[in-house]
Amino acid sequence: MSEQPVQVPRHLLRQVEKPARYVGGEWNSVVKEHRAADGTWRTRFAFCFPDIYEIGMSNVALHILYHVLNSRDDTACERAFAPWTDMEAGMRRLGLPLYGLESKTPLAAFDMVGFTLQYELACTNVLNMLDLARIPLTTAERGPADPLVIAGGPVVFNLEPMADFFDLAIIGEAEDLVGELIDLYRSSCPDGQRPPDWDRNSFLARAARIEGVYVPSLYAVDYQPDGTLRQIAPRVPGIPAQVEKRIVLNMDAAAWPDKPLVPSTEIVHDRMFLELFRGCPRGCRFCQAGMIYRPMREKKAVTLVGQASRAEAATGYDEIGMLSLSTSDYRELGSLTDCLLSELTPHHTNLSLPSLRLDSFTLDLMDKASRTRKSGLTFAPEAGTQRLRDVINKNITEEDLFRAMELAFQGGWNGAKLYFMLGLPTETDADVAGIAALLDKIEAIYRALPREKRPRSLAMTVSTAVFIPKPHTPFQWCGQLDLETIQRRQQILREHFRNRPVKYQWHDGKTSFLEAVLALGDRRLGPVIRAAWQRGRTFDAWDDHFDLAVWLDCLQVAGLDPDFYARRSRPADEILPWAHIDCGVSASFLRDEYEKALAGETTPECRLACSACGAASFGGGICFDA
Amino acid sequence: MTLSLRLAYARREPAIWLAHLDMMRTFERSVRRAGIPVAYSGGYNPRPQLAFALPVGVGIATEADWLDVRLDEAAADHDDQSALWCAQLNRHLPPGLAVHSASRVLDTGPSLMSRVQAADYRLQTPGLAAAADQLRQTAEDSPWIADKNSKGRLVKTDIRPLVLRWQTEAADTLLVTALAGSRQNLRPDLLLQVLTARGGLDELAAADCQVTRTRLWLDTLP
Repeated sequence: MSEQPVQVPRHLLRQVEKPARYVGGEWNSVVKEHRAADGTWRTRFAFCFPDIYEIGMSNVALHILYHVLNSRDDTACERAFAPWTDMEAGMRRLGLPLYGLESKTPLAAFDMVGFTLQYELACTNVLNMLDLARIPLTTAERGPADPLVIAGGPVVFNLEPMADFFDLAIIGEAEDLVGELIDLYRSSCPDGQRPPDWDRNSFLARAARIEGVYVPSLYAVDYQPDGTLRQIAPRVPGIPAQVEKRIVLNMDAAAWPDKPLVPSTEIVHDRMFLELFRGCPRGCRFCQAGMIYRPMREKKAVTLVGQASRAEAATGYDEIGMLSLSTSDYRELGSLTDCLLSELTPHHTNLSLPSLRLDSFTLDLMDKASRTRKSGLTFAPEAGTQRLRDVINKNITEEDLFRAMELAFQGGWNGAKLYFMLGLPTETDADVAGIAALLDKIEAIYRALPREKRPRSLAMTVSTAVFIPKPHTPFQWCGQLDLETIQRRQQILREHFRNRPVKYQWHDGKTSFLEAVLALGDRRLGPVIRAAWQRGRTFDAWDDHFDLAVWLDCLQVAGLDPDFYARRSRPADEILPWAHIDCGVSASFLRDEYEKALAGETTPECRLACSACGAASFGGGICFDA
Repeated sequence: MTLSLRLAYARREPAIWLAHLDMMRTFERSVRRAGIPVAYSGGYNPRPQLAFALPVGVGIATEADWLDVRLDEAAADHDDQSALWCAQLNRHLPPGLAVHSASRVLDTGPSLMSRVQAADYRLQTPGLAAAADQLRQTAEDSPWIADKNSKGRLVKTDIRPLVLRWQTEAADTLLVTALAGSRQNLRPDLLLQVLTARGGLDELAAADCQVTRTRLWLDTLP
């Protein structure tokens, strides 16, 4: 593949929506020569996000790994995103390959092409980007000159449906691992240049010995006649039967970009990031992130204040977003927000506090968040009745919700957005009616306040997503509720909220159904994904691009039943497709949690009592804080 | 008394692909990084107070555009630091944007935007001079009708009155002076449309044309 930079003609950039997505040149972007000062060739790594620029640039993993890789003099990390359909059509028409935004070098000339997989429905975009880059789609088809194609992100905790397309996957946190991978790679490349007879398989066999690296082609999968798994086993000696995820234990010492990229065009999360902690102590049973990122590991407030002021000076951003699974669980939140406000307010910089738990909502916190700009409130009760909230281990009560809403009304907010899920295990129509009842009560609380103590109008929003069973959660054995029942329950809420001060938004059950198939799937889905892409499927996560009929057709052609993956309850002794991936939380803990869920029993959060989930084996984090 | 820092700046590749809102965001952040004591608007959502002379379309370069950065009150107590701020800002602008002069001005008169009267453009693409010659031969009084996209609808508009003067500089180069500003403004792509339809300019050459706004005329017509 030619290394010549790709020249996108002006007429194409004039034709497409938001050409700034495709030209690079952002503040703090790093453009390196192909050779280092000592004359050796740099290892070229393309960080690929399989969705549009505005979404990909909002992903914190991109910023961290871009920093980690570009901190090495022997490595150059560039970025690539999925071009929107207008740009894709133009590139195909003009024969332009997908390129790295920094040097415009075609992706096929890179040493490594790494995709972060944040959601299952991005799978066809991965294939489309590989195809646009003219990189063979499967590991089996790649030769000595083709890039190594790498996967990372939460979806790799069950990579099986995508296993054919990747040479290797990074399970868990890549900050430390990626350096080891590059060291190993460079040891196979004299002067940093890949030799013409480079042996991909022998490199992969050695890479598979790095802790946290999963090489799908080195594991054999056998099926039973009924389609369930008989066995997943290494094909070669010396690689682990179970790949254990990698994590960073000391968050204060963890790599962090002091000079984050600043996009010139508006992106989804257009602010600087602060990562207060990784993991979550709560243990909601539907939540994959709450399990696979265990144990919870916090940064010290002093670390964060330093990172915030350096990022502010280096970016010029006027808003700082606190990233974490549940921000209000951060132990030093009070002192952190005080420090940040005293440092940042003089510069008109604002705090944005997402992910507040209902039981920790205080006006003081919200006042801090709206010191310069008042933003909307969002809460996630997730289920309408205490019974169902106990099943999912949400551990908040309706009193928490009512108290928070009363405070919010008194604080001048005229409503909040409440997130719920439909189709949770054991859900009945009574639980859905519970959602309606909660909103009725909130309306009554609003009306009971004296006129001078409440905003002039009430505007609540209710949003329902469809529950998707996810691997490595207590609900991984559950089937998804059928579409008809979900639509009927959406209808119950639509009718209830009609002519009330509640706006009802619901997520389409069809995309959630495919997401469940892909989340719970096995390697037999690889050809289905490829067929769906060949039939024009891309941007499946975008409702207006989604076409379930094509997918169902491709599944049928492959002789596969989507209900087998998405709607089947799995017995305890079934070998699940992701059984060889170890996120640190034991299968026995997950099964106990599943049983407790069905019995309506809750489990306390990590700091109240350790439930021996297994994450203590990493030797750090919240498990050892007490 | 309000004080502003008046900047003359150029934009080249890749910054020419920024939309006007992106330009505003980019300058806001650059001004903040450079530590220039910019004044903020009031209200719930205070913004740095930046005033551009005339937004420029996506894909168009500029050689000398104007931007006023309103300074906060404290800046009036200090000596003129324009040269320092200009240097600082240049260290904090992304590739493709550069300030070539900065001066402190007392804001007493009308806004920059309201003072813009006309603009000079340089268009460069193969076959441009020939197309211009052909267009020149059309009758003096015949209108140059272009399809202008206005709020999602195509509107026919005569752009001939907007063009003040034009001359070919080379086979591929056309220099144009046209009315500009918030009242009457020539969009260079509309002129290219007419050069294609009436002058026989190749469509692809028109779409690939390099367009540069070389000068803004303030207060008086050239």
